[in-house]
Amino acid sequence: MTAVPPSSHNTTSTPPPKSSIDPTEVSHFNALASSWWDPHGPSRLLHLMNPLRHTFINSCLKSQNTPSPSHKLDYLDIGCGGGIFAESAARLSGTKSVTALDPSSEVLKIAQAHQRRDPILMREGKLTYKNYSIESHPIPTAPNNGYDIVTIFEVLEHVSSPSQFLTTVLPHVKPGGWLILSTIARTWTSWAVTKVVAEDVLGIVPRGTHDWNKYINERELREWFGKREGWESPRALGVVYVPGLGWREVPGSEGVGNYFFGVRRKIEQNESKNESRMDEF
Amino acid sequence: MQSRPTIWLFGRCHVPRSGLVNIRRRTFATTLQRNAATPELFDVVCVGGGPAGLSLLAGLRASPATSGLKVALIEWQDLAKNQTHSPSPTVYSNRCSSLTPASVAYLKAIGVWNHIDHTRVQPYDGMQVWDGITDSRISFDWAETASSIIPQQSTPSSSTIAYMIENINLTSALQKHLHTLGGTTIISPARVEGITFGEETPNLDLSSWPVVSLNNGQTLAARLLVGADGANSPVRTFAGIESRGWDYGRMGVVATLQLEGPGRAGPDHKIAYQRFLPSGPVAMLPLPGNMASLVWSTLPERAMKLKSMATEHICAMVNAAFRLSAVDLTYLHTMDGGQKDEVEWREQHTRFKEEELPMKVIAVQEGSVAPFPLKMRHADTYITERVALVGDAAHTIHPLAGQGLNQGQADVASLLRTITAAVETGQDIGSQLALEQYNSERYSANNALLGVCDKLHKLYSFDSGPIVPLRSWGLQAVNSMGALKGFLMKRAAGGA
Repeated sequence: MTAVPPSSHNTTSTPPPKSSIDPTEVSHFNALASSWWDPHGPSRLLHLMNPLRHTFINSCLKSQNTPSPSHKLDYLDIGCGGGIFAESAARLSGTKSVTALDPSSEVLKIAQAHQRRDPILMREGKLTYKNYSIESHPIPTAPNNGYDIVTIFEVLEHVSSPSQFLTTVLPHVKPGGWLILSTIARTWTSWAVTKVVAEDVLGIVPRGTHDWNKYINERELREWFGKREGWESPRALGVVYVPGLGWREVPGSEGVGNYFFGVRRKIEQNESKNESRMDEF
Repeated sequence: MQSRPTIWLFGRCHVPRSGLVNIRRRTFATTLQRNAATPELFDVVCVGGGPAGLSLLAGLRASPATSGLKVALIEWQDLAKNQTHSPSPTVYSNRCSSLTPASVAYLKAIGVWNHIDHTRVQPYDGMQVWDGITDSRISFDWAETASSIIPQQSTPSSSTIAYMIENINLTSALQKHLHTLGGTTIISPARVEGITFGEETPNLDLSSWPVVSLNNGQTLAARLLVGADGANSPVRTFAGIESRGWDYGRMGVVATLQLEGPGRAGPDHKIAYQRFLPSGPVAMLPLPGNMASLVWSTLPERAMKLKSMATEHICAMVNAAFRLSAVDLTYLHTMDGGQKDEVEWREQHTRFKEEELPMKVIAVQEGSVAPFPLKMRHADTYITERVALVGDAAHTIHPLAGQGLNQGQADVASLLRTITAAVETGQDIGSQLALEQYNSERYSANNALLGVCDKLHKLYSFDSGPIVPLRSWGLQAVNSMGALKGFLMKRAAGGA
């Protein structure tokens, strides 16, 4: 299982696995936990990428009229790791709450210890960590009880069954809300850059962090969502790490390496109409 | 400026590179007993209410993205007293600065410029610089240079090289603006008695937050502690950041002068003068009316002698410094009085073009002659976790290019941009990762300027040998090349 072609999804009739996460992946990130917040440690590239995640989310939100900018947002961050994105989202003035999940208990301990360093994040309901994967997170009782923003950053390339994983995630997005993810395209360039250069030559990413076979292309995601009812406005943005300069947005590079992907859950406008039609019959 | 350190004891003095792991060991011993009271939490605590600190706080309060931050300013001098200054048009403070257009642009952007007393600001658009040994000269004049570098788009506002302003005029305006904006906790006068790291409790871990204890008993915990506390910065000491450099073995003598007139080209076209003497550069910078500001870098014994001279002799010495030879000046400094008559006699026997020189000094303002030591210092870094240094706390420069205060304003503008970007993307504004942008923007820029001024100082301290004709040739060559001169003038004016 390397990607998310719809055909492979359709063949599964077996019950979903308990967790979408590969156990070897969990132990890899357990080992990295202690250095998660070291500005010069192995997670430095993730820290440097974080501001661009907000830039991308803002561009998604601004592309639509709803929700209005004054609406305070609820976030669900899946695979939050040490809390790099979850903390930053919780600090934003437009945020109501952030719920952040990660199956690695070691990593989550680091996240919670780091949360205590910032009084803003300790405010009631601002940032809540849960030590489980998305399968264990309660599904909203009604669609509108879902989250405005559901984020899956640098996770998809680590899950063993991306199609099943995404299917589990979808119900958590509120109608009008966004599913935002970032991952790496499966190309020769990304193999050379992320496996050979970043892990082996430069050593800026810990060895064994990535399995190139698990990478997913932007086109594959677009097709996957295209075949599903109720999802609209897919957007993507490629980003490139330039040593000495940091992460840079490079339009068109989503087909090559790291990229952000956003897709919006449609607001069901004909629900009430359906009811009235029912009355007519 | 927070320039009076009390008891600054500290455990270690190298820059921590590996972030949070080391921070707990970065302890700071203090004679204070551990303060049991819970510190008040702030997003930004700035130590030092000089031009850099005040300007940072005004910027934070004025910019919409950062106006939600809780900010405090600590200053050991009474800021309320600082705000009053003499309105007399013939009395000027001896502490003046030459504000570059870049600094002015920042001050306008944060809304301070309207609060400045503009009757006491003197823009100048001409600059005369020459070699005291060979007399080779470079004259900067926008009116003649502009045409050769910017043929079409020379606007009247771009003709100003810099603005002479009393520091007190700037700090008063900054304070007025801060009061108008509101929302800043100003603690003044109050002295920092110690800085330690905060406590860890089950609900909150302040062990990476600097906690500042004041002599009035207050304690403030800072998400970001800004050291705008001068060359002997206690904040820098707390952060364990080393500052390196050397003393020049020179003193700068400042004074407020009264000239025989408003200047060679009248009150609307003011000129700054600088002559490089082997003992150091002497500069006369225009103030409104017939007033001018002196910065004379010289040997310490000569500086002390100048200060002790009678007013008429100081006037004579300043006039001589722009007219007579280095040998004459050396002799005049050895005299135990009588310099006035001696200078008059020697001027009759020296050839100079009076029209290329500043107007003669006729009076020195009582009590305005003040010597200060010249140093070059540069901190190893401007940031560590939850600490940022700005202005003199980060760097001390030779005053020959008048860039000290401007560097501080550029630091503040950059730090404000950095904090704004961090707030907009939800970063912890005190984290080293969030502050990196500030360090990378400012460190190399300041380092280059420190280097250039240092080299200029050394280049002109030779009074004989092969370097002297070479530097004269260099100055004349630059003078004849309009484009290069325009570039240099832009640099002096703080342009990018």
